[in-house]
Amino acid sequence: MKTYHIVKCGLILIFILILSTGTASAFNIYDEEIYKGDGYQINNYFIEVFNIISHEDSRLLTINMYQLKSDGTYEELDVKRETNVNNKLTKHKYQSDIVEIIVMEKNCTSTYATVDITTSGIKVVYNQPVKGGLSSAKFIGEPSLLLTKEVDKTNVEIGDTIRVTIKAKNVGSGPAKGITIDHGITPGFTFKSAIYTTYPEELAAGNPDYTQMYIYEMEAAQSGTVTLTPAIATYYCSTYDSEYSSNSNSPVVTVAQEAVETSVLELTVTPHKTELQRGNKVTFTVSLRNIKDIPATTVRLDMIYPYNLTYESGCEDIKIIDNKPVIQKSIYEARYEDEYDYTFLANEVGIYNITAKVSYNDGANNIINETTSDMIYVTEGKYDFLKEYPLYVYIIPIIIIAAIAGWIFWRRNQFKM
Amino acid sequence: MLNILIIGAGQCGNRILDSINNKAFGGGRFSKYYSKQKFPSRVETIAVNTAINDLKEMQYTKAKDRLHIPHLHGVGANRIIGKQCFIDNKDLIMRTIKERGDFDVAFVITSSSGGTGSSFSPPLIEELKNTYDFPVYGVVILPFREEGTIYLQNTAFCLKEMHNSGVDGIILGDNQFLKYAGTDIQSAYDGINSMVAERILFLLEALDSEMMMVTDLGDFKTVMSGGAGIATIGFAKGDGTNSIKSIIQQSLSPNGLLFSSNIYEEGSRAMIILRGDRKYLNIDDISSQIDKLSSHIGHVFKGVIIRNGEIPKILSVVTLETTVELDNLYTLAVEAIQMEKEKHDRMALEKETGAAFSKIDGLEPQY
Ligand SMILES: Nc1nc2c(ncn2[C@@H]2O[C@H](COP(=O)(O)OP(=O)(O)OP(=O)(O)O)[C@@H](O)[C@H]2O)c(=O)[nH]1
Ligand SMILES: [Mg+2]
Repeated sequence: MKTYHIVKCGLILIFILILSTGTASAFNIYDEEIYKGDGYQINNYFIEVFNIISHEDSRLLTINMYQLKSDGTYEELDVKRETNVNNKLTKHKYQSDIVEIIVMEKNCTSTYATVDITTSGIKVVYNQPVKGGLSSAKFIGEPSLLLTKEVDKTNVEIGDTIRVTIKAKNVGSGPAKGITIDHGITPGFTFKSAIYTTYPEELAAGNPDYTQMYIYEMEAAQSGTVTLTPAIATYYCSTYDSEYSSNSNSPVVTVAQEAVETSVLELTVTPHKTELQRGNKVTFTVSLRNIKDIPATTVRLDMIYPYNLTYESGCEDIKIIDNKPVIQKSIYEARYEDEYDYTFLANEVGIYNITAKVSYNDGANNIINETTSDMIYVTEGKYDFLKEYPLYVYIIPIIIIAAIAGWIFWRRNQFKM
Repeated sequence: MLNILIIGAGQCGNRILDSINNKAFGGGRFSKYYSKQKFPSRVETIAVNTAINDLKEMQYTKAKDRLHIPHLHGVGANRIIGKQCFIDNKDLIMRTIKERGDFDVAFVITSSSGGTGSSFSPPLIEELKNTYDFPVYGVVILPFREEGTIYLQNTAFCLKEMHNSGVDGIILGDNQFLKYAGTDIQSAYDGINSMVAERILFLLEALDSEMMMVTDLGDFKTVMSGGAGIATIGFAKGDGTNSIKSIIQQSLSPNGLLFSSNIYEEGSRAMIILRGDRKYLNIDDISSQIDKLSSHIGHVFKGVIIRNGEIPKILSVVTLETTVELDNLYTLAVEAIQMEKEKHDRMALEKETGAAFSKIDGLEPQY
């Protein structure tokens, strides 16, 4: 993988070299009118119409050439001038080991000159007429791209798609040219599609905003914590015939094992009334729904209720286990839904609720789900004050009265003929 | 503990028996619902009557203790019918008595003048005497004198028959003598019944009681066997201030007795029972008073029942040698019998001759 990457990078480099050599030998400007005192800048070479001396019908053009330095200074280049004796036009020529700049005079007035500029050995990244001459020329510096790689999510499961956005900003002092983006192949992710690829080839320095360069989507194929391979931007600057490259940051994405499809039982418990008198009954309906396409197994539905409520009766699915109403089902089919009624007797005054608790196997794990009903308000019954006293308070007088009545009746009969 | 049988025959006997049962409950209308009968002995009471309405009227005698002898509604004061009725039902009556177990003494309470009670009692006593060993006493209520000739004649025959029945003694009560007990006939009956009942209960206590100075059934028998076999009972109650002497005297006076008698003249034997708190029962006073009585009549038994906090009550049982009142009654009875006989003969004659109807013999109606 690494070898492949290096080879790829190498190939791109070679391609760029070929491209730049081609450009370097072919930059020419024709019939450029330059006024006296103005100039023309090619990369950091500055061509200045220094002087036009008029004498009767003839004009003498003086062009100077400078090499601009990064520190703001410049160096005057050694320019060779040859004037054609016939037409009195002057040829200005700078020659170094690599670079050659020729400025051919084609016409000259007292205020401007028309020239052809031919160069060789320069990979031109910047060329511009400059008003005001040398003092107005600016050094063209190195580009420096800041590259970012962003992901739309950092926690995904296998099979999930993430979108990666690459942005760039030139924080250097010179334009970045011939930008190419390598989005960076991350093992463990499968490239799906490029969403946006039409990034600019050139980014000027000084723009404070990031420019969107590349958007693509890839799919997580392996679990684990993955540090994405940085994107690489390759670019160059003609001023300095060198290659640049910038690496983006590396977002970290956590890829979880793909979840198994499981069942989910949803539960509601609803009292039929929320206010009742002590000694009365209240029914709760429990609705149990499997909201998934997978059946739940070993389902058990329990009711958790206060001792002041006594379970009285309920639907036929209910079995009494340890004195408590329980519903058990070996399987609860996918998308199946049912309701179960539980009737309780309210023994005591108070505010109560009951909780329905379902436990089941969702296909992977044992799940417990609980839900609690609304509050029910149990108030004093009409004849409840009677219950304030223990039963014997009523029973004993009744027994006594009955005994007396029985005795009198029996006794009366004894004395009746 | 003694076993005592009390039989009430006829309406009068039934009512007095009911009064005894009521008093044994403690008196009061509803006492039977909350109280137990406080007889000192085992007492069995049996009410016998031919009239079911009289039996139904009873309130304090258990239904099982009421024996109805089916004979329409009483025997209508006719002792001939009554006696025949007893003979017809003798077995039933005797069986009923037998079922009640063994007895030490029996009392038969009746009026002398009605039909059922007066005709059942003499043969019943005779039957009891023939069957059992225990003494049997008659308690006989004499009629108001103005009640008529039949009642008088019934009384005369009833008493005689009872006397000849082998009875161990006849205790007399007299409606005529006791009529002050009430303002009208009904309240007089109730008052007399209550008096008789109270005395009989006192007597039972005297026969079967832990007494300081003992009298017992034996003493009672001795007293009752004296004289002409006719006795009466006196009763008096102190008010907490009067002396025991005066109470004893009072019990022997017409105010205390059930039957008109001059005890000091006519008495033969007596038994005086004194009951009450010790403080009222001065032995010397009692003794002097008893001595005075015995000096007049003969033997006097005395018994004392100590009841803490109770004002003194005295019961006196006196047998009579002679009785002027009974003689007078018999004189009246003879007149009554003769009157009835004359009336009977006259009626028979009138029936024979046709009296008024004969006046038109031989005549034809003229139109
Ligand atoms: N002291 C008293 N005397 C009563 C009472 N009832 C009736 N006598 C008297 O008893 C006599 C009538 O005899 P009863 O006992 O009524 O008659 P009986 O034995 O029921 O006989 P018949 O009714 O004729 O079959 C009358 O002299 C009444 O004055 C009573 O409650 N108390
Ligand atoms: Mg009668």
